[in-house]
Amino acid sequence: MTTIPVPDRDTAPYWAALAQGRFELQRCRDCRSWTWPARPICSGCHGDNLAWEEPSGTGEVYSWVVTHQAYGPDLARLVPYTVALVRLDEQDDILIPGRFVSDAEIHQGLRVRAVPEPVTDEVGILNWEST
Amino acid sequence: MSDRSRFPRAQAAIVGIGCTEFSKDSGVGVFTLAAKAVKAAVADAGLQVEDVDGLCTFGTNDSIPPNVLAQALGIQSLSFYVDQFYGGSVSLSMLGQATLALSAGVADCVVCYRALNGRSGVRMSGSSVGDGQRLPWDMQFKVSAKYIAPSQEIAMAARAHMLKYGTTNEDFGRIAILSRTHALDNERAMMRTPMTMDDYLASRWIVEPFRKFDCCLETDGAVAVVLVRADRAKDSPHRPALVQGAAWGGGITVVNNGHRDLTESPARPIADRLYAAAGLGPSDIQFAELYDCFTYNVLSQIEGYGFAEPGTVGDKLADGAFDRATGTLPLNTHGGLLSEGYLHGLNHVYEAVQQIRGEAEHRQVERYEVALVTGQLGYVSDYSSAAVLVGA
Repeated sequence: MTTIPVPDRDTAPYWAALAQGRFELQRCRDCRSWTWPARPICSGCHGDNLAWEEPSGTGEVYSWVVTHQAYGPDLARLVPYTVALVRLDEQDDILIPGRFVSDAEIHQGLRVRAVPEPVTDEVGILNWEST
Repeated sequence: MSDRSRFPRAQAAIVGIGCTEFSKDSGVGVFTLAAKAVKAAVADAGLQVEDVDGLCTFGTNDSIPPNVLAQALGIQSLSFYVDQFYGGSVSLSMLGQATLALSAGVADCVVCYRALNGRSGVRMSGSSVGDGQRLPWDMQFKVSAKYIAPSQEIAMAARAHMLKYGTTNEDFGRIAILSRTHALDNERAMMRTPMTMDDYLASRWIVEPFRKFDCCLETDGAVAVVLVRADRAKDSPHRPALVQGAAWGGGITVVNNGHRDLTESPARPIADRLYAAAGLGPSDIQFAELYDCFTYNVLSQIEGYGFAEPGTVGDKLADGAFDRATGTLPLNTHGGLLSEGYLHGLNHVYEAVQQIRGEAEHRQVERYEVALVTGQLGYVSDYSSAAVLVGA
C-alpha cells in the first residue's frame, strides 16, 4: 500500500494546502468549531457552513509510537520512525497523527508545530517537529 | 437511551460449531476453507446443508461472500445474509444480527462464518493490502502519517495508558504469557511452546511499546457456527449456547472528535448496552473470551467490561485472577488470537460454545454457564461488538 494519501473530492483541499506548504483545517462559520479530518459537515453543530482556515499549527504530544516493522515497501528505508499523536492547541478533541521529524527526545506534553511536506502537486503530508 | 432490555434474550442459540485446521499456509483458497467449516458446523448441529437459509460473514482483506457460498451449497434463495466490513470489530455483530433475524422470523437456520488466508494470502499487517482491496475512508489521514497498521494505533493507546496509570511492559507481558499458557494443551492452537517473561521481554519491537509477543498471530483457517431459534434448539445433539444478549457499535479512534482520552476503554459504552440487553452484569460473567489482537486490548476490556477499576489490571494479572484453572474470571481459555490463532474473533465463539457444552476437556473451566465473548473493542474502526452466551 502506498503511503501517499489518496484524496477524494471532499478532502482534496486539505491535501492541496499541505502540497503548497500550508496547514489548513475546516472551521465552522457558525459555531466556530474546528474539524479534523476534512469532512462535509461541522462536528460541532452539523452545519455545512465550513471555511478553510489556518490554525496556529501548534500543539502538544499526547502519545507516540516507534514503528520498527516496515508496513509497506516504501517504509523499509524509514524504520524505525516515530509517529506522534498531537493534541491541537485550538481544540482539545482534535488529535492528529503525524511523523515526528525532530531529533529531540519525545515525551508527553512536548510542544510541537505542524510541518507540511509537499509530495506531489496535489498532495502534501503533515509532519510534527519540536518547537 | 431506549430500553435495551427489549433485546430478544435467549431466543436464539448456537447449536453447531465447525472449524478447519489453523495454519500458516492452508494450501487452499478461502472458498474451500469456508465450505469446510460451514459443513462441519452444520453436521455438528445434526442438521443438513438444505436446512440453512441464512449466511453471515464479515471481513477485511480476503473473504468469501454469502451469495457465492450459497450458490455452491445449493441454497436457491437466502432468507437472510450479512456481509459486513471492518474485520474483528464486527465479529460478534453477526451473532447479534442472526439472533434478531431468527427471533423476528426472517430466517430459521443461520450460519455465521469467517474464512481467511491471513498469513499465506492477504496479511493483516497491511504489508500486502493491495490494489482492489477496500480501504476505510479515514485511511488517507492515517497513511499520511505512515500510521497504517492496527498495531500502531493500538500501541498509541497503550502508551497513553502507560503514561496515565503507570502500566508497564510487564503487564502486557503477563497477558501474552496467560494466553500462551492456555494454548499449551489446546490441540487447535498454533503456538504451543511455553513463554516466560524473559522470552517476552526478549522478543523484538514491532511498534514500541509493543513487542512481537504483544501482537496476535496471522492465520489461515475458518470457523463457522450455526444458530436456530431456541425452541428448535431443544432437539440438537449438543447443549445449546443461548445468545442472552448482544450489542454493537461505539469506540474511540483518532478521527472521532469528541473523545479526548484514548485510555478510556472503548468497551465501556458497549458494555452498558450489552449488560442491559442481557439483563446481567459483570459479576454474573463466569468466563470471558476477549478479542486480543494485541495484549493491551485485553487490559482495556477488563476495565471497560467492569472487571477492574482503570489502572488496577496489572495487579490482578499478577495475582492470577484470569488464569483458567484458578482465576476468578478465566480469560481466553484457548489461548486467544495471541496464541491459538487469528480467526478474526470467531474462534472465541467456538471456544465459548465448547466450554458451555462442558466439552472443552482439559481446558474445561469450573464455572461455564455464562460467557462474555467480544470483538475488537473499538479502536481503529470505531466499531465494536460483543455477546453474552449462556448454557440452555
